[in-house]
Amino acid sequence: MDGSGTAPPASVSGRGAVRIRDASVAAWVEKHGAELRRHVERLLPGPDAADDVLQTVWITAHRKPPEAREGPALRAWLYRVATHAALDRLGSERRRRRALEGRALFVAPEARPAPDAALEGLGEGARLRVREHVAALPPKQRQAVWMRWAEGRSYADIAARLGCSEESARGNVYQGMKRLRSELFGLWQEEAGA
Amino acid sequence: MSGQPCWVSEEGLVAFVAGELEPEAEVAVARHLAECDACREEAVQFRLLGAAMAEEAGAEAVRWHAFSSPFGRMYVAATPGGLVRVSWQQPGDDAFEAELHDLLPGRPVLHDPTDEVLLETERQLTQYFAGERESFDLPVDLETLPTFSRRVLEALREVEFGKVVAYSDLARRIGRPRASRAVGNALGRNPVAIVVPCHRVVRQDGSLGGYGGGVEYKERLLAVEGRQDLLRAG
Repeated sequence: MDGSGTAPPASVSGRGAVRIRDASVAAWVEKHGAELRRHVERLLPGPDAADDVLQTVWITAHRKPPEAREGPALRAWLYRVATHAALDRLGSERRRRRALEGRALFVAPEARPAPDAALEGLGEGARLRVREHVAALPPKQRQAVWMRWAEGRSYADIAARLGCSEESARGNVYQGMKRLRSELFGLWQEEAGA
Repeated sequence: MSGQPCWVSEEGLVAFVAGELEPEAEVAVARHLAECDACREEAVQFRLLGAAMAEEAGAEAVRWHAFSSPFGRMYVAATPGGLVRVSWQQPGDDAFEAELHDLLPGRPVLHDPTDEVLLETERQLTQYFAGERESFDLPVDLETLPTFSRRVLEALREVEFGKVVAYSDLARRIGRPRASRAVGNALGRNPVAIVVPCHRVVRQDGSLGGYGGGVEYKERLLAVEGRQDLLRAG
């Protein structure tokens, strides 16, 4: 005991070889690792992608452990973190491809080619376009969406601030998000469906 | 690709991406995403949308921090453009947050004791009170103020440590020689006390004039700057 009290960092070495000196994370790798790998490989073809995503999961589990240490809630947490990481990877591949093609991510009539900066973060253009579309939502949806997705507030908090029920706050967030998605990704969707 | 409706609704996808589902549903939706191209595409879009909003919120946010000072608990707040508020005599954290909401309506307010500008402000103010610093090297964001107030406060930033100017001097400096009273009003509403040194403005006759936070603080600040000569009966 050196008295530092902090857990050693999860160490990740080599591709796919995850060595973690965190007993609980190691146990989760043992118990859920194979299942998660199959899941991620279905989301993202190719072994490298799955390795990267799984490393993200275990490092997250080490740095910000889930509240549930076992059972269905833990399994759900692992699935969520893995799936979100995989979706982000797909999203950044889209961004990269669109930037290389000289097309902005979010489609709008005045859309200009995304600069290289779009490779990191979403780029100023995309952010501004999101801001414009959020601003054009009906007031309750706009406030509810912003408080939930930009500021990360709970529905109870949003309901209190908007003076409505939690159910209504939730409904406003869903409606607003659906509308934003269809407006901002309309063309992308058409291309994908074509 | 099959055109069949999915058992996962759009609401379900939003809830999954927001991490709001019950454990069993969460695993079920995750597994569905691995199989369904259309839903996976939608989920990617919701993730991108969420990331864009979080980035936007981060870029817009007003961050604040509080620390102890010789004047009591000192509150400081900044936007990415610089300091927007330096204040003591606050009833509490909630009151300060409420004030920031009023000062910059519609922008997220975050307590962030790790913000670089705020920590640097703490360091420089602490040095100032200890007599170890004469000027502040800090960004100040006066964009939200009316043009006239901004000009007054910008001109005031040129007044150096230990120097004082009269309200009428300041009015002349901004090219509005007869606007001494308006200058006084603008100073009274200076949101960035000390760093924008409104305590260095006194009356033409050498008396101290007012101070937003109470004239005793003006006296203490002038004393820090070695201007005991200006203090009452001094």
